[in-house]
Amino acid sequence: MKYALFLGCKIPSRLPAYEASTRAVLAHLGVTLVDLEFTCCGYPARNVSRDGFVVSAARNLALAERAGLDVLTPCTCCLGTLRHAQVLLDEDAPLRSRVAQALAADGLAWSGKAAVEHVLPLLARLIGTNKGATVPAAAVSVPRTGLRVAAQYGCHALRPANVARFDNPMAPTIFETLIRATGATPVDWPRRLDCCGDPLHEGNPPLAEHMTRAKIADALASGAEVLCTACPHCHLRFDAVQSGAPDPSLRTLLYTQLLGQAMGLPAKSLGL
Amino acid sequence: MSRTLFHMALYAALALGALGLLWRMAAWFRVRIGPDARAVTPAERVGALFRGAASALFSRRLLHVVAALFLDVLLQRRLYANDKLRWLGHLLMFFGFMLLLLLHALAPVVTVPLFPGYESTLAPWLFLRNLCGAMVLIGIALFLYGVWRRRTRFAPVRGPMAAAFIALLGFVLMTGFLLEADKIASPQAFHRMAQENGVTDPAELEPLRALWAAEYGVAFSDLRQPLTPELLEKGRAVHAEGCESCHARPQSAFVSYPIARALASVAGALDAARADVWLLYLHVFACFVGLATLPFTRFYHAVAAPVSLLVDAAAPKREFSAAARASRRALALDACVRCGLCDTDCSVAPLARHLGNPTLLPSHKLIATGALAGGSLLASGHEDDALRAAEGAFLCTDCGRCTSACPVGLDLEDLWEAGRGDLAAANLPAPAQWVRARTASAWAELLRQGQSAHVLSDPDAALAPLSADRNSFSRCVQCQTCTNVCPVVAHSTDPGCGVDLTPQKVMNLLRLGMRDFTLGSRMVWDCATCYQCQENCPEGIRVADIMVELRALAVHRLGAVRNWKAPS
Amino acid sequence: MTSGRGNSCDVAVIGAGMAGMAAALFAAERGLSCIQVGSGGGILFASGLLDLLGVHPVAEGRLWRSPYAALAALAREQPGHPLARVDPGAIRTAFESFVAALGEAGLAYAPLRGRNRSVLTALGTLKTTFGVPLSMVAGANLLEAPGGRQPCLLVDFRGLREFSARQIAATLGDRWPGLRCQRIDFPGFEAVPELYAAHLARALESGETRERTIALIQPLLGDAHAVGLPAVLGLGHSRAVHAAFEAGLGLPVFEIPTMPTSVPGLRLLGALERVMAARGVRRRHLSSVRALARNGNPGTMTLELDGVPGGERLSARAVVLATGRFSGRGLTADRGGVRESLLGLPVQQPASREAWHQRDFLDPSGHAINRAGLRIDAAWRPLDASGQPAMPRLYAVGSILAGQDWMRAKCGSGLAIATAWAAMEQVADHLGGAGAG
Repeated sequence: MKYALFLGCKIPSRLPAYEASTRAVLAHLGVTLVDLEFTCCGYPARNVSRDGFVVSAARNLALAERAGLDVLTPCTCCLGTLRHAQVLLDEDAPLRSRVAQALAADGLAWSGKAAVEHVLPLLARLIGTNKGATVPAAAVSVPRTGLRVAAQYGCHALRPANVARFDNPMAPTIFETLIRATGATPVDWPRRLDCCGDPLHEGNPPLAEHMTRAKIADALASGAEVLCTACPHCHLRFDAVQSGAPDPSLRTLLYTQLLGQAMGLPAKSLGL
Repeated sequence: MSRTLFHMALYAALALGALGLLWRMAAWFRVRIGPDARAVTPAERVGALFRGAASALFSRRLLHVVAALFLDVLLQRRLYANDKLRWLGHLLMFFGFMLLLLLHALAPVVTVPLFPGYESTLAPWLFLRNLCGAMVLIGIALFLYGVWRRRTRFAPVRGPMAAAFIALLGFVLMTGFLLEADKIASPQAFHRMAQENGVTDPAELEPLRALWAAEYGVAFSDLRQPLTPELLEKGRAVHAEGCESCHARPQSAFVSYPIARALASVAGALDAARADVWLLYLHVFACFVGLATLPFTRFYHAVAAPVSLLVDAAAPKREFSAAARASRRALALDACVRCGLCDTDCSVAPLARHLGNPTLLPSHKLIATGALAGGSLLASGHEDDALRAAEGAFLCTDCGRCTSACPVGLDLEDLWEAGRGDLAAANLPAPAQWVRARTASAWAELLRQGQSAHVLSDPDAALAPLSADRNSFSRCVQCQTCTNVCPVVAHSTDPGCGVDLTPQKVMNLLRLGMRDFTLGSRMVWDCATCYQCQENCPEGIRVADIMVELRALAVHRLGAVRNWKAPS
Repeated sequence: MTSGRGNSCDVAVIGAGMAGMAAALFAAERGLSCIQVGSGGGILFASGLLDLLGVHPVAEGRLWRSPYAALAALAREQPGHPLARVDPGAIRTAFESFVAALGEAGLAYAPLRGRNRSVLTALGTLKTTFGVPLSMVAGANLLEAPGGRQPCLLVDFRGLREFSARQIAATLGDRWPGLRCQRIDFPGFEAVPELYAAHLARALESGETRERTIALIQPLLGDAHAVGLPAVLGLGHSRAVHAAFEAGLGLPVFEIPTMPTSVPGLRLLGALERVMAARGVRRRHLSSVRALARNGNPGTMTLELDGVPGGERLSARAVVLATGRFSGRGLTADRGGVRESLLGLPVQQPASREAWHQRDFLDPSGHAINRAGLRIDAAWRPLDASGQPAMPRLYAVGSILAGQDWMRAKCGSGLAIATAWAAMEQVADHLGGAGAG
């Protein structure tokens, strides 16, 4: 099994542990990751130029297409953006031809062949979790028994569902299933599907902080020991808001780290 | 060459170069980039330098500094990692030039004391000098090829001073080779030397001339006898007596010798024109010009870039004090060599091309950041430049690839952050900020006054097609579901930072044909794009998509009537 | 049965309103793999109250204490009504099953009894219904108390425009002397001029806000035997919030549904989605079926979906049409009349547009257009123009069926649940008989 790994902008510079743990876990499960010369997924451009956003995204999709690979990303925002671009390219013919022209300058073309997937569904398939399974997956050698984990889904993995194609946007289960597969216990928390607040950080910091703190308080009140993330934006957001506090009380952990621990991979290879 | 003239010119060049260096280096402590840099004085910044240097020298970091000196400065490890061809070119130029400087230009103070019996016309020096010169020339050729190969629409701005650097370097090399070739071929030079060594008897002179014509490349036009083996044998005896100790055969000058052969037919004419004299003047004075102007041409990177690399090694990136950070940013403006490796790796390069705005790219952004700090970006008449620089600065994703790619170790992420701070201070913050300067209705009023003459004729189709198409929102039944599921409205409990409208009211304004009233709305700009509204809308309206499109439209339409003026 | 992976399934349910949800649930409960297409937006307009049959005959507006007695009357007098085609025992089972599934998903209902209940509305009127959420049942108990109506406190929140305790008290005061009302500021939202019920519901899922709210109500209790609040007691975790209010106030607490779209609607949608997720129903949100055709492969049908990049094709052995009437876009009305939107199936409808509506819009007997819909055979299969099943494995459930006026008969949920149950029984029979999978 082989994918082009799309790390996006945040992971290499701000959250290298996510790259390390993703590579470690997937290597352990026999997945080959190929690095292409990807650029920004296009998300920041959406506020300025619809075409600019789609061109940025399509360039990456076209690179993967040329390499004959599907795209795998650990970032839910990149997932959402790349898939969103696919939808727009699919439904808007004039846009498609404008983008084709822009890509042609680089000798690239988009036809929609390269699919985009997030790490979580791939892991769910690889470790063979079944819905509602309560026993750790076969790949797990050091079950994280007793650890109470709150799953932070990330908006752009879930919604809009026709674009994200990830899980039921109103009642997703994949993350909890994956947590159970490590032997840990998923926590049901009222704000689990809420926005982490990160997108408001630039424009309205106090409101963003209000949102983030509400989530942290909710997870804590629901008995979580660990907030498990699958998106660098969410992860960094929770860490940033808690870093000012004297004692960050809700530990954040990337899902790839949690799974890596449960597989018995060395902590260093997981960026821990 | 007159020694007095030589020395006067040398000292004048040294003095000018030194003054220039002082002036340029003072900028490292004077130029302020970033809001935090305004809080520290130049004196504090000089102090921070000494403290930093001391703590690096007397700690384990010294090892890093020494390693950086060899690996990063001399061997250009970072360049090697990024671009092998460019690394080769740089290495050839650097080592060729440094060896020429030490062994040739500084021969009286370096080579002569180190190598007893040194003569520039002996082996291996002839060969070595040619080798070094050839290395520099090949380096220049590789550099120019690289520039041509990587030419893009937004090449790094290199400017006339960069061209002057390359031209001057090439000129020094070419005059050097020509001078050497002229001396090899020159009959006049031969006769002058023969006379100085007392070889005046035709019985000695003729065989010597024959030998030098046959084996040393002198282009005599008046050889009277055929070059018989006997004659050459005689010449060899004379040569062994008076010349051999100072003159090796010039064939090892593998560049100059072929030039000398090529010049053979005009050697007499060159002698008549005193080519040796003016070539020497050109060669030496070009070097002096280079020395005097060093701080103002790309030569300066030979000072600033190593400093940057050593500073980078002396302290890990985020451990700088505010004063040290301020100096480091100013240094970055000088240390950048405009190699453009950052541009090649830039995450938003495709967007820069699409928007036609090069200031998204690091090498251009660095110049804009410098211009902002220097004040020229905010001068009146440069409003468009400033606005584009702000657009570029705030579309950066902080991916850090430019910093990783930089061969001179600049902390570019820090520089960008500082630059964004300066832009915000100049009333040029991110769109999500500047739209807040007015209420949504004040913006709508501005639009109504029709100051938007230079708006794109029809930006809607490309920027906000959904909000331009009634079918995409006319089904709205104002059921308030979007508002009920909106986390932003739910968290707007503090009137200081809450939103003004609700998603449902934004949709209603669209239905009423009052789109202009939505563009500056807090609701539109504070939308978290969590897509709860869109996912839950019973009518299938793409609420969040519309919000995002409205922002793009607002950036253009409100940007046009924003009427930003440079602070006077 | 077909495995539950990829794009193929035993049953594809088109539509995600009450009928579609019920059909998907019952399919899953029968062990059929199921894909359900569409978003559940229509459910947001629900109140959380599950009607079975409240009014019959519609023209007389007669309210029934026993829905089963009403069903018996309906079966006698209106045998063509879809509800009349379902065995009352099956309806009881279907309701129990539906409510139990919601309970598992965190939305608890009061135990179903054989009778209809009276529930207070935000307008101060009483609504006749059948299934009542646990969070609302204390109100029904109070209204139906044999010894007369006990003193009760209604509390509302400043800024929550859709709910006025004073209006309810004014409407009911003469019939309920002990009914008092009080208005408080919602904690944390004091500076917000306009409140939205769902935001309050989310806020009350935080223990701190809950305790502050309870503390504000506590001193107002007086002689009250129960406390009524707008339906804002939690969203996904309403059971815990409601229990905390009852414990904190030491009295029965009941919610009064607000105007749609309301928190109970969001709750119901959320709970149904959790039901679907738990039962392995594969959902296709924000998608619609563009085309439906019988496949060359015997016994399967192909559905082409819109709204997905590149489109998607589903393969199903049976298809259930639960696309609703006009607001659900199951039916389309134009100058030529009414047609079924997806396949253009013939619709039972008045002969001409003039006959669609009565002269009086508020005529209690309703309008003919409100009884338009698909005709079906005994196996719940819609009929084509020749009166034959349009497709051997195409079924129709819910409000798209002809011969009912669910709004006036107060039988919306009953129609959805009962017809979905009955149709799914047929589907299971047919698919089981086909022996594939």
